[in-house]
Amino acid sequence: MSNVTTGKFSIEDLENVQVTIENIVGAIEEVEETEEEMGVTPKPGISSLRHWDFNLLNRYEPIYTPMCDQCCYCTFGKCDLSGNKEGACGIDMKAHQAREFLLRVITGASAHTGHGRHLLHHLIEKYGRDHPIDVGSSNLKTPVMQTVTGYKPETLGDLEKALDYVEEQITQLLATIHMGQEGEAIDFESKALHGGMLDHVGMEISDIAQISCLKMPKSDPESPLAEIGMGCIDSSKPMLLTIGHNVSGVTNIIDYIDEQGLSDDIEIAGLCCTAIDMTRYNTDEGDEPKSKVIGSLAKELKMIRSGVPDVIVVDEQCVRADILREAQRLSIPVISTNDKIMYGLKDRSNDNVDEILGDLESGNEPGALILDFDKLGELAPRLAMDMAPIREEKGIKSLPTSEELQELTERCVHCKECELVCPTNLSISDAMSAAESGDFAPFEELHDKCVACGRCEQVCPKDIPVLNVIEKSAQRVIREEKGKLRSGRGQVSDPEIREEGVNLVLGTTPGIIALVGCSNYPEGTKDLYRIADEMLKRNYIVVVSGCSAMDLGMYRNEDGNTLYEEYPGKFIKGNLLNVGSCVSNSHITGTAIKVASIFAQRNVTGNFEEIADYILNRIGAVGVAWGAYSQKASSIATGCNRFGIPVIIGPHGSKYRRALIGKPYDKDKWTVYDARNGEELQIPPSPEFLLSTVESVEELMPMLAKNCMRPSDNNMGRMIKLTNYIELSEKYLGVMPEDWYQFVRTETDLPLTKRGDLLKKLESEHGWEIDWKKKKIISGPSMKFDVSSQPTNVKRLCKEA
Amino acid sequence: MVDAIKNTRVYTTWGTKNAKPVQPKVAAKTISKAKRPLMVVGADLLKNKEVLDRAVTIAKTAGIPVAATGHSIKELVDKGVSAKYINIHSLGLYLCDPNWEGLDGNGCYDMAIILGHKKYYINQVLSGLKNFTNLKTISIDKHYLQNATMSFGNLSDEKHLEALDELIENL
Repeated sequence: MSNVTTGKFSIEDLENVQVTIENIVGAIEEVEETEEEMGVTPKPGISSLRHWDFNLLNRYEPIYTPMCDQCCYCTFGKCDLSGNKEGACGIDMKAHQAREFLLRVITGASAHTGHGRHLLHHLIEKYGRDHPIDVGSSNLKTPVMQTVTGYKPETLGDLEKALDYVEEQITQLLATIHMGQEGEAIDFESKALHGGMLDHVGMEISDIAQISCLKMPKSDPESPLAEIGMGCIDSSKPMLLTIGHNVSGVTNIIDYIDEQGLSDDIEIAGLCCTAIDMTRYNTDEGDEPKSKVIGSLAKELKMIRSGVPDVIVVDEQCVRADILREAQRLSIPVISTNDKIMYGLKDRSNDNVDEILGDLESGNEPGALILDFDKLGELAPRLAMDMAPIREEKGIKSLPTSEELQELTERCVHCKECELVCPTNLSISDAMSAAESGDFAPFEELHDKCVACGRCEQVCPKDIPVLNVIEKSAQRVIREEKGKLRSGRGQVSDPEIREEGVNLVLGTTPGIIALVGCSNYPEGTKDLYRIADEMLKRNYIVVVSGCSAMDLGMYRNEDGNTLYEEYPGKFIKGNLLNVGSCVSNSHITGTAIKVASIFAQRNVTGNFEEIADYILNRIGAVGVAWGAYSQKASSIATGCNRFGIPVIIGPHGSKYRRALIGKPYDKDKWTVYDARNGEELQIPPSPEFLLSTVESVEELMPMLAKNCMRPSDNNMGRMIKLTNYIELSEKYLGVMPEDWYQFVRTETDLPLTKRGDLLKKLESEHGWEIDWKKKKIISGPSMKFDVSSQPTNVKRLCKEA
Repeated sequence: MVDAIKNTRVYTTWGTKNAKPVQPKVAAKTISKAKRPLMVVGADLLKNKEVLDRAVTIAKTAGIPVAATGHSIKELVDKGVSAKYINIHSLGLYLCDPNWEGLDGNGCYDMAIILGHKKYYINQVLSGLKNFTNLKTISIDKHYLQNATMSFGNLSDEKHLEALDELIENL
């Protein structure tokens, strides 16, 4: 063991000696630590932020809605836990449900983090450890990572130590799921919040790495527009379909097509987040995307069954388990490119491309596992070019003919078994009757609500391919599915925060609405458009990502423009920003952190609690995962929650089994400290929850406005927010909200146009004293308004403490 | 002859406790006996005017206050029903709290009557109530809701209206 510490030394005289450097320690870390003050919880362990979690959980109580009354985790069971009974190991229903939720969160976090690790391995191999982190014009390049771990990475290699930390923590969390570990619900909840926070670090690593290496837009508000929709696919060309979330291998395909001049000869399009990241690839200098987007998971079976794809390339996450079986029926070879999804296919990574082509084109093999991306780059386009004429010659038939459709609809006996198993209980039987008599309108409407899960077909006693019937009947509307998607811009930049931060904290920009998550919508895709359109018109900043970003682009206004074309993409009020794919969700929490850092000059480095406390009390941001279905959506939402950002999920989200909801009637829970002196302050019940579901888009609208209110709003800000709350409630619920007065601190908080009427209501309905000469409130509000107060939930941040 | 099914406890995929299928007349009698019932009406009610009319009749006939969830409130209030808006998930939490004073400040409820909801959604809310409260819940929706205490079966639209009419007759 050498005693070398720092400085240069020569090893040129050594021969046949392998030097392994596991970690560069010492001087470099010391420099990092002396550059900026380190906060109190760098790289927090499971218990480090428990105090913060308990603080949150005291106000926002877990409500459990079990999917199943039993526990079947170990061989003691099954144990009946109904009525909050204890199982054989001693765990009760509440703790078990909290454990179930934790499991979902760390499953999601693992998916993003595993994705990040895979991507980082690939990018380091291709671009080197010293490749610089480049996210655009920002000094705070990795806000989430810096806040959580204290690290400030400069190169790809630097990202690895943060990833090491996340992976270790996820392992520790997974260990607590085991029988005989944690026993109390509240500590499972704290662990779930920990897992959610880790997820955002994992996501940030993934996106920062790919933005830095793959020439993706860097905080570009004018990132290019891409075509989206099943209707935009040119089926006359050989078609290569990608599915998943990890774009690393697909970039080789795009490069090969480009290099070989095949861009006009092949149609390349994707489903899910790989598709989004394909449109980001090589576009940081304004180039047009080289691929198209079809849509979300809900379009997977529909696209395959259309028979249009000639080759399917899958990577990881949100890829249906039956892709190979479905593709095989239509002679579509499947190439698996990631060891997370291999479908039992032979590993052909080391074989000759021509040999593989031979086996796939002849149908000897239904697909291949190719982990060599250079080989993949050549194989997939050549296969698509070859398969198109082969499949045409074979006369591959996909959807039923008109005559067959008639026969299928007549075959239906209307037993409604399909409707019972349909996740949204769609009226398939009535639509069958209508189609039988030539009316396809009900199926056209149903097509948008159908998530194409195929459960209907599994139970049909007459073996009707229900999904094919829906798709064939809805051909007219499918052909019209052509939209535009603004490709993901990446982070919000530091200069943008400097411009807008003050408006957010004072409330004069009424809030950030983040539309994120998957496609399990309760009433179809158009609701997303309605939400974004309404909130953009009211000057909220609307941030979108992933599947929500895609589905939003499917609709056009009266002028024929999508919202991406109608609204600019800067981080200022009334703008629409697509940050990117699923892993880009980290930029939403990152933006809130940047406001604390850049606008409020808070130290973010390893200083999670103070930053989350700042966000909770001052930044009016609400996440909406309207169609959340995945475990990843639960981990994203839970990470937002620990950072102090509330999230609303659609009605299917109730199946996550737990929500965190406050009780506005319990006044003791709605207080904070004034950091100037430690005095307790009453605050309005907003955010009213950290995670909750709502029933309909109409209910959602006023809830968004209400939950953007924060204690730090100035009078102008509160007036704007309260006006939106009242107007949206009247517009969508048809009534004045009952709790509007709880948000009033002074008469200047009241909506200007209704001030007189509302003062009368305050006097007559709530007993407040009003000075009518001056039109001022004399007494009544439970909250004092002091623009210089510093609301905090953390006692140690108060001066007297 | 051996009674091979006596005292059988049916374990399903979901657990051991499932809603007792209930006929309209029995549901009506049970509702009539409640001391402090709450009718929980969801926004799916607005999809069928006939069901909406019957919900109004039930609330008025039996004098039951209504928790209007989703965006169902306007139609109910316009028809003279004593209804207040509340989010269904929040209601699920408050109903678990013995200190909650109810929508009208008169205390918590002893029965919830369910109508006009998305099956998959309300079933989750009912699961929480089933496991963590003693509240009696009766679903008079068109779908069987396993997590209620009692529930109508899976009904066609026509049969559902007939069932609601029979329930109203027996209130």
